[in-house]
Amino acid sequence: MHPAAVVQAAMAAGLDGVVICDHNAADNVAAAGRAARASGCVAMPGMEITTEEEVHLVALLPDEAAAGVLHARVAAALPGRNAPDTFGMQVIANEQAEVLGFNPSLLSAATSWSVDRAVGEIHRAGGLAVAAHIDRERFGMAGQLGFVPPGLPLDAVEVSAATAFDAGRRRYADPLRVPALTGSDAHSPSEIGRAVTFFHLDRAETAEVHRAIRAENGRTVLGGGRPMEDLAMHILDIAQNGVEAGATRVDIRVEEDADANELRIVVADNGRGMDADTRNRVIDPFFTTRQTRIVGLGLPLLRQAAEAAGGHLTVNSTPGSGTRVSAVFELGHLDRAPLGDLETTVLVLLASHPDVDLDWTHRRGDQEYSLSAADVRAALDGAPLASPEGLALVRNAVRLGEAGLAGPSRRATRSEDHR
Amino acid sequence: MTVTDLAGLIEGTIVGPALADARDVRGGYASDLLSDVMANAQDGDAWITMQRHVNTVAVAQLKNLAAIVIVNGRQPEPDMTARAAEHEVAVVTTPLSAFEAAGRLFEAGIRGRRVS
Repeated sequence: MHPAAVVQAAMAAGLDGVVICDHNAADNVAAAGRAARASGCVAMPGMEITTEEEVHLVALLPDEAAAGVLHARVAAALPGRNAPDTFGMQVIANEQAEVLGFNPSLLSAATSWSVDRAVGEIHRAGGLAVAAHIDRERFGMAGQLGFVPPGLPLDAVEVSAATAFDAGRRRYADPLRVPALTGSDAHSPSEIGRAVTFFHLDRAETAEVHRAIRAENGRTVLGGGRPMEDLAMHILDIAQNGVEAGATRVDIRVEEDADANELRIVVADNGRGMDADTRNRVIDPFFTTRQTRIVGLGLPLLRQAAEAAGGHLTVNSTPGSGTRVSAVFELGHLDRAPLGDLETTVLVLLASHPDVDLDWTHRRGDQEYSLSAADVRAALDGAPLASPEGLALVRNAVRLGEAGLAGPSRRATRSEDHR
Repeated sequence: MTVTDLAGLIEGTIVGPALADARDVRGGYASDLLSDVMANAQDGDAWITMQRHVNTVAVAQLKNLAAIVIVNGRQPEPDMTARAAEHEVAVVTTPLSAFEAAGRLFEAGIRGRRVS
């Protein structure tokens, strides 16, 4: 996986940025940065450090110089040298995929740093310390150390793609009062983009992402999800398509009915709509109107997900008056895709399209809550919706609403906590 | 068996104040995954581990373990030592490996319990 291939895979997945995290090294960061700059994506410097407790920490670094400093510190804390026959070659490549050399340290080993020391070293290099894949038993902080040591100054926790983002955030990040991030932890290009984090930024660049994690200057972490899997990401994708097609109103309903064993998702907009021919083609996997996609794989994949779970997808559209997508699933079907984090869906939608009249309802059993962008704007009394206050209001409303739903059919969603 | 007896069997050194003989060592468990110890160690076990992070003390307390045995000649981190003294958790260091330490304790009659 040479630096340019990583950047290409990130672009193909529709990502604005990736963090380059070699194990215990940062000597591919500069080439990835150059490859990214040439192609309009951002490759942010990082490193995945193994502590002596065998906990993995991700260092998010402000620039290549900081990555170089930490790289040298880590190299001095690593025991032994690589045995390429056993562990493979540790290639340093440039952006043309030419091999520049080999890292001689045993990068798969643990450093002699404790967790506390490693967090300190990351901070000294000007970086942010993130507990990597915190939900994983091996190499995750929760498994390896039982729990996060009290007082450890982590800047964020990363929930792996194995856990639904909302479950991971509630379990690991909220108690520490730090943001939850998620990422693909990709070890091959095909894995890039399988889990993504959404940020509210002025522009895609490293410093902005760091500000968001620190909750500075109105930047914030909006949430995360698994675009190929989570229904929440599909909902976001459909709604964003609607807005791109000129919609000013988007109504979204998510209804879980355990008695009828049904999950129903309806996204309706007042955008341009489609004629019958186009309507038929959008559920064909070989058709797209876009060059890149940010989330989800569109209606064909949602249709497949619905049908795999004993349901179906219906698309009604009239040119000039909008589109209505309805996906129905057997709620308790073994192959039903997880809902994922609906809070992320609402936040990303409103942060990217603050002028759209979103009406959001989530019903579970006989309980439901609703949120309307118009009400939020009224409550803000002139302050912009895509501001820290506006987004905090939305976030709190969704959290309160979701907490209120934790009622009778809880059983239906528990299997989503850990697959 | 007291913690002093245990230390004698594994060429061990008791770390911190002499509270070692207050507890009876009734069994043993060996693991470096603290989540696993939280799930499977038993009351009164001596816990054999490479870990020397302060969290070990919390886990030992939670599971009411008789002692933490740190192997391979590793020394506890200072905050672990302090926390162990504060919470009266016995810590023993040994130059032996986990295998060797567990073997000696087993020979002396200390048993583990089947987990599954």
